Amino acid sequence: MALVELRGVSKSFSKGEETITPLDNISMDIEEGEFISLMGPSGTGKSTLLNLVSGIDRPDAGTITVDGTDVTKLSRTQLADWRAANLGYIFQTHNLIPVLTAYENVELPTLLLKLSSAQRRQRVELALEAVGLSDRANHYPRQLSGGQEQRVGIARAIVAHPKVVVADEPTGSLDAETSDQVQILLQRLNRELNITMLMVTHDSNVAAIATKQLILDRGKFLARAEGAAR
Amino acid sequence: MIGYVLKTLWRHRTRTLLTVSGAAVAMFVFCFVGSVQEGLHRLTTGSDADRSLIVFQENRFCPTTSRLPEDYATKIREINGVRDVMPIQVWTNNCRASLDIVVFNGADPIQIQKSRPLTLVSGSWQQFQSQRDAAIVGRNVANRRGLKVGDQFSIGDISVRIAGLFSSTVPSEENLIYTSLAFLQYARGLNAAGLVTQHEVQLTDDADPDRVASEIDSKLRAGAVATKTRRKGAFQASTLSDLVDLIGFAHWLGYACVGLVLSLVATTTVMSVQDRIKEYAVLQTIGVRPLTTMRLVLTESTLLCLVGGVTGTLLAMLALSLGGFAIGAEGATIAFRPSVAQAFSGSAISLCVGVISGLPPAIQASTISIVHALRQS
Ligand SMILES: Nc1ncnc2c1ncn2[C@@H]1O[C@H](COP(=O)(O)OP(=O)(O)O)[C@@H](O)[C@H]1O
Ligand SMILES: [Mg+2]
Repeated sequence: MALVELRGVSKSFSKGEETITPLDNISMDIEEGEFISLMGPSGTGKSTLLNLVSGIDRPDAGTITVDGTDVTKLSRTQLADWRAANLGYIFQTHNLIPVLTAYENVELPTLLLKLSSAQRRQRVELALEAVGLSDRANHYPRQLSGGQEQRVGIARAIVAHPKVVVADEPTGSLDAETSDQVQILLQRLNRELNITMLMVTHDSNVAAIATKQLILDRGKFLARAEGAAR
Repeated sequence: MIGYVLKTLWRHRTRTLLTVSGAAVAMFVFCFVGSVQEGLHRLTTGSDADRSLIVFQENRFCPTTSRLPEDYATKIREINGVRDVMPIQVWTNNCRASLDIVVFNGADPIQIQKSRPLTLVSGSWQQFQSQRDAAIVGRNVANRRGLKVGDQFSIGDISVRIAGLFSSTVPSEENLIYTSLAFLQYARGLNAAGLVTQHEVQLTDDADPDRVASEIDSKLRAGAVATKTRRKGAFQASTLSDLVDLIGFAHWLGYACVGLVLSLVATTTVMSVQDRIKEYAVLQTIGVRPLTTMRLVLTESTLLCLVGGVTGTLLAMLALSLGGFAIGAEGATIAFRPSVAQAFSGSAISLCVGVISGLPPAIQASTISIVHALRQS
């Protein structure tokens, strides 16, 4: 059984008169430890797919099972608890809380788990170390560069040791150099910490770091070359 | 999490400060109005108001126009249910409604000490009883006028030497100045030898006040001057009737203040939440529960309201205790005193208003579509 299983998932939106169905009866599996990149034209439902897997949106039909839990059956509160324990979300625009320091931003998810304060501190320090920002712990987001902010966002997504991390165009708003740093970081997290990842990107260079590349077009997946240099 | 709320408030400190000070001003006014109401309520209730009677000249209102024979006291004393009678000469600097009214009550010093619920906070009874122009001054008047023992105090044609300052369990008493009866009767311009303004009647424990009152009036109808006898509370309320209406109206002002705080804090919280709706969506994506999200917003609004409201309440209590404010007319006064009940209701109302004003934005923040909020740039 795969870690993430989508079966017959459909999702449509109504825009006034018009109804658009970006995801129409989609099925896919993500194995534990896999790093999947998802490309495709804009507006095909890539973000929608991530949102469904994260349980911040609900499908119109189908089931989404993560590690044996059907997330489509959970209430809003149960979903929140489930996300706190199982899911990391990396946004395109980091979305850090501006009034909190880098350390406090990374600490947030751990406050939702039953941890001692020593365990909490250790996790936050490890996560900041993993993204190479231990020396920026007490900086506020506005005192960090775009790449550093995104790395804090990544630390926040992995600090709770989630089963799955989803990333929606994590390098989308970074320049080429910082984008490279973030790519290397994501690849390292997958290889060294064995984090299962589902990443949406526009950039085929970025997609190439994944172990499996998928293209979503008109509601269907097209598989591309398996595994980059793993 | 409380740290997050505090930091958020601090980030918009101008807005926070304006809201907090607005809430403080409104709750200050609320407590002030409340203490006036309380003062009025105290005046017309309690054993002093209910268990003593005031005998006044019929159809007269201002103390200068009521002139009763002093020896009516002997006749009143004969009536069943009367424990004691104290003839009182009243003098006031102002018969109309005023905020700085000075009221002298002249009566037998020994009777004053025995029958009024007074405690000297400084000075001595002995000196009050032995000196002709000695006066004891209520704490409120002393505060307002800056008087202390040994001072000479003159107003109009009257000049007294202050022999003591007193506090009283009946707050309106603290607006009075007591002198001996003879001193006031012979004061220039009064020419009241043998006459007094009113008789204050103490009842026995089992007497029916209304029966005794009508007996007094019918007995004295045969005398030189007809009288009208009422319970002290009713007497004071009717003397102050113009003010009573006004004060009754003022309680709407109090409600308006609460409404003001409500809309002020609600506006600030709604603005704050709408500015940061994406932040709440991010928090919920991370795994913060909807109910916790709601609590965050409620904490924000409650903090604003509570800090402002409690500050305003405390300032009002401070002003009331230091200012010695009173409003009076025709020789009767209403004291504005701080009270625990008032401080408590001010704080409790701030708390409730804080929670209520935060509810709509709290519900909004916890029920938004996360995806929709995240898509906003
Ligand atoms: N909340 C929404 N309301 C209405 N339409 C939406 C909503 N979310 C997405 N859509 C529409 O669904 C389609 C897929 O959106 P999205 O998943 O964001 O595409 P992608 O990430 O592949 O660019 C788009 O046409 C978009 O306009
Ligand atoms: Mg997208």
